[in-house]
Amino acid sequence: MFETIIDPTVGPAESVECGRPTLATRPEHLTGLRLGLLANTKRNAEQFLADVGRELAGQYGIVPVVAVKKPNIVETAPAELMAQLTEQCDIVVAGVGDCGSCSASAVADGILLEQAGIPAAVIISDAFTVSANAMADLRNAPGYAYVTTPHPVANLTDQGVQARAAEAVPAIVALLTEPVMATAASA
Amino acid sequence: MTAPATAGGSGPSRAGVSPGRTVSPRVNTDDPVEQAKAAIEYCFEQGWTDGLPVVPATRADIEACLATTDHPADEIIGSQPHLDRSVTVAQAAANAIMAGCKPEYFPVVLAAWRAVTQERSSRGAWQSTSGPAPLIVVNGPVRARLGINYAGGVFGPGFRANATIARAIGLIVRNGYGVRPQELEQATQGLPGRWSVCFGENEEMSPWEPLSAVGGVAAGTDAVSAMLIRTVEYVDNRSTDSAEAVLHDFADTLARMGAYVGGPHSSGGLVLGPEHAQLLGNAGYSRADVQDWLFSRAVRDPADMVAAGKGEHAGDGPFRMLPSAAAIPIIVAGAANAAMSMVFRPFGWAAWAGRSVPVEWKEQ
Repeated sequence: MFETIIDPTVGPAESVECGRPTLATRPEHLTGLRLGLLANTKRNAEQFLADVGRELAGQYGIVPVVAVKKPNIVETAPAELMAQLTEQCDIVVAGVGDCGSCSASAVADGILLEQAGIPAAVIISDAFTVSANAMADLRNAPGYAYVTTPHPVANLTDQGVQARAAEAVPAIVALLTEPVMATAASA
Repeated sequence: MTAPATAGGSGPSRAGVSPGRTVSPRVNTDDPVEQAKAAIEYCFEQGWTDGLPVVPATRADIEACLATTDHPADEIIGSQPHLDRSVTVAQAAANAIMAGCKPEYFPVVLAAWRAVTQERSSRGAWQSTSGPAPLIVVNGPVRARLGINYAGGVFGPGFRANATIARAIGLIVRNGYGVRPQELEQATQGLPGRWSVCFGENEEMSPWEPLSAVGGVAAGTDAVSAMLIRTVEYVDNRSTDSAEAVLHDFADTLARMGAYVGGPHSSGGLVLGPEHAQLLGNAGYSRADVQDWLFSRAVRDPADMVAAGKGEHAGDGPFRMLPSAAAIPIIVAGAANAAMSMVFRPFGWAAWAGRSVPVEWKEQ
């Protein structure tokens, strides 16, 4: 009976639903693959990813060929960084989503990389899974799988970051190598 | 299914609806009051409200708002590309009506929206753990025309224009961008007064030019200035007739370490009550003089910073808590009935872009 009430959520007429994103095919193992690291500007993010890179180097003999920091925590990585990652890397680890907006944008980065055919492991601190999931829903990828690490990350010492990165590695490896169930897979 | 805000828009309703929402009860009454209550309840059920009742908006309401502006209904006035969301003029109108605005407030809502969204800090603000609030300041004759309070009780409540213009901005963010608390919005605690801080500057009792003149719009012109803030905290000083003593008191609050979040400096501005403003003005202080004084005196001993675990940038000498003299916005508002003022805390490190937005009235 309320047909005449205006729906305030309806935006511009030209906006269209995009389909469910297709996730990248997983490699069977990581050996010999070219690794990319996509950090944000949150405190300890770059170091966290560098430590992950070192762990992966030790275990699989792969080294990061690209390690970049995106300039803005709110938005997805700019096109030139995305191009660098997709052209020069086989797999990418991104994060750390340790704030309200960067957790969501890290998930968006991961989904964009997957759509470009690059398996990605996004790291989110466990206080921000709600906003990470909200972004996954927004991108039509409900259930998008990522790796969690306990919150907070920003106040960790160097050793603390190193330990946390080492803890995250098995889940990162699993996410990058185990077959994903379309977008319905969950961590 | 309800009507889209944009004429001809048939895009899917993608936001604002919680899964498993309840279905509005059928209203078995001819009583218009019961019907109105049911319509309000319907809006709650759609997830369209900030927790308070809204005024359901109809096509006629949108047309009434559009009649106040030259901006077309489908003009896009804001975008969050990372959320794949854009907001149109018609959508802003729907949310303004829902917030309780009269249609004649709409040009001020549009100016306030532009003033808020042109602030660099607004890009990620709506999702931030800091949960900042727009602080919206109106200058010019529009204050009297629309009843925008600039005297007693400016931080509210009690004045329809003040309360609803600020609330409209919040509903546009919620319904237009789909940023809702405990979802994409991740405010740790938020703050009292989010989406309710909008007031006129008390130009009549200010010793200085209007804030909008600082922001590049000629005095006497209707204009809106906005910044994002994390809180306000009072400085009550009715104990002295010394301008410097009052400034000292302000500097102490501005230099509070809790407001410093790391990095090169903290942030701060003042909403001066008219008594403090006039005390300073009568002592010969211009607005710039006040800013200079506060910039040089709002400092902390590096040892204090270290003791609070915030010494990373402290250095050796006194640590200046404010970014620059010019980045200390000074506003005059309130009643001249007690000597008190508010320190406010701009979100992020950017303080204020320093650009006021003229209110655009429809060409006659």
